Amino acid sequence: MTEPLVTLQNLEKRYGHRMAIHDVSLQLYPGEAVALVGMSGGGKSTIMRLIAGLEKPTGGRLTYQDPAPVMRVMYQDDRLLPWLTVQDNVGFGQHGQWVTDLLAAVGLSEAAEQYPAQLSGGQRQRLALARALLAKPQLLLLDEPLGALDALTRRKMQDLIMRICAERHLSSLLITHDVQEAARMADWIIVVKDGTNVYQTAGAKGQEAATVAKVGEDVLRVILDEQVRA
Amino acid sequence: MDNVTTITTPETARRHWRFPMAQLLPWLLPVTFLALWQLSVSSGLITSSLVPSPWAVFQDGVDLWQAGTLPTNISISLYRATVGFVIGGGLGFLLGLLNGLSKRSRALLDTPLQMLRNIPHLSLIPVVIILLGIGETAKISLVAIGVLFPIYINTYHGIANSDSELLEMGRSYGLSKWQLFSKIIFPGALPTILMGVRYGLGIMWTTLIVAETMSSNSGIGYMATNAQEFMDMKTVLLCIVLYALLGKLSDLIAKGLESTFLAWRTKGVTIND
Repeated sequence: MTEPLVTLQNLEKRYGHRMAIHDVSLQLYPGEAVALVGMSGGGKSTIMRLIAGLEKPTGGRLTYQDPAPVMRVMYQDDRLLPWLTVQDNVGFGQHGQWVTDLLAAVGLSEAAEQYPAQLSGGQRQRLALARALLAKPQLLLLDEPLGALDALTRRKMQDLIMRICAERHLSSLLITHDVQEAARMADWIIVVKDGTNVYQTAGAKGQEAATVAKVGEDVLRVILDEQVRA
Repeated sequence: MDNVTTITTPETARRHWRFPMAQLLPWLLPVTFLALWQLSVSSGLITSSLVPSPWAVFQDGVDLWQAGTLPTNISISLYRATVGFVIGGGLGFLLGLLNGLSKRSRALLDTPLQMLRNIPHLSLIPVVIILLGIGETAKISLVAIGVLFPIYINTYHGIANSDSELLEMGRSYGLSKWQLFSKIIFPGALPTILMGVRYGLGIMWTTLIVAETMSSNSGIGYMATNAQEFMDMKTVLLCIVLYALLGKLSDLIAKGLESTFLAWRTKGVTIND
């Protein structure tokens, strides 16, 4: 049986007296796309930050596959380095065929010599994606990276991320407010509420629009405390 | 297929030529001032023995240049300014770097440095003269002390206030400490550091002028003081013009550094997908 990349068992994180998350248990398997959805302040980002190793849990267990998987985070605010050109942002100044290939994979070959300020929002996130892929990660942690994009660019980015994850057999953990986005991109959707995971359902990745819409609608009902349709 | 030939008519050529307003505008007021000054002296509105005309000041400059006095004094002033700036600026930069990067160093050095910073450095002139005399070391030391603090403060703030989100990204992307410094911390601090350099260049000239006026036997400041003793207004005014020109040169150097190292800031045109 395939070993999970990351396992969370009753994970807990406190900031002083404030409990950010508690009793969070989930597993991320290779090649799987999981989405965490829920209201703001529910604890989604804290779960991702703990998995990414950006913060330490205060309770429970967080274990990784051995050897530990390479993980990369994509942030909503792209966090590009404004003083480096597009190609230097990908490799932090290192050039090579791998950087060229990554820029081609995200459709930014022609912008290689430009600076981030010269790019549109969608191009900036494509660049952030290329940078995240440089270390050949096994797990992409997507912290609402598409939140600030317009609907059309957002749709294109969703397709690009799904295509790249499929081609490279990449696992992904997507944090989003958009239940339709979660339904469209994920194999599994986990609803996080008041600091813990309260509901899990299958996503509709690769399925037709009507199924995506129904899954999204059901998840939204859970978030809003309504009855899920049978 | 038809061949298309573009013929440039005089009308078209004329349309392409534009009055270089942007280039000329900064010089409009200085030139007007000089012209009015010259006219006032030539027409007798101002007594030429009291305030010589710009042309007379220029002539005096040419004479002093040919006699070798001007090149010698400009060279010695430039030497003092440059050496003082390099020593003070270098020390300020290193201290700023050290305190910006290390909490322990900050705890040890920042308070004494902030106390020293609040002492007007020109008030140290008597102390410097007593300790170091009126030689080169005294003047270079004063320039160095003056330049040290603006560069220290700006380097320290630039480094200490690095973008925490970019640093978090860098750490999570596995950058080494050196890479975090060279790719994120230093480039992010550079605009603030260069602001300190620009401010330091201004202080460099002010300090040097005061130091050379008070205790020296060479340099532009000395030339002005010496001329004042002989009521030689032409040379006094010439020295003031030289200060203005050297100040402008410093400003050009600062701008040059900014346009070289901060070129990315001007590339901000957003395009659509």
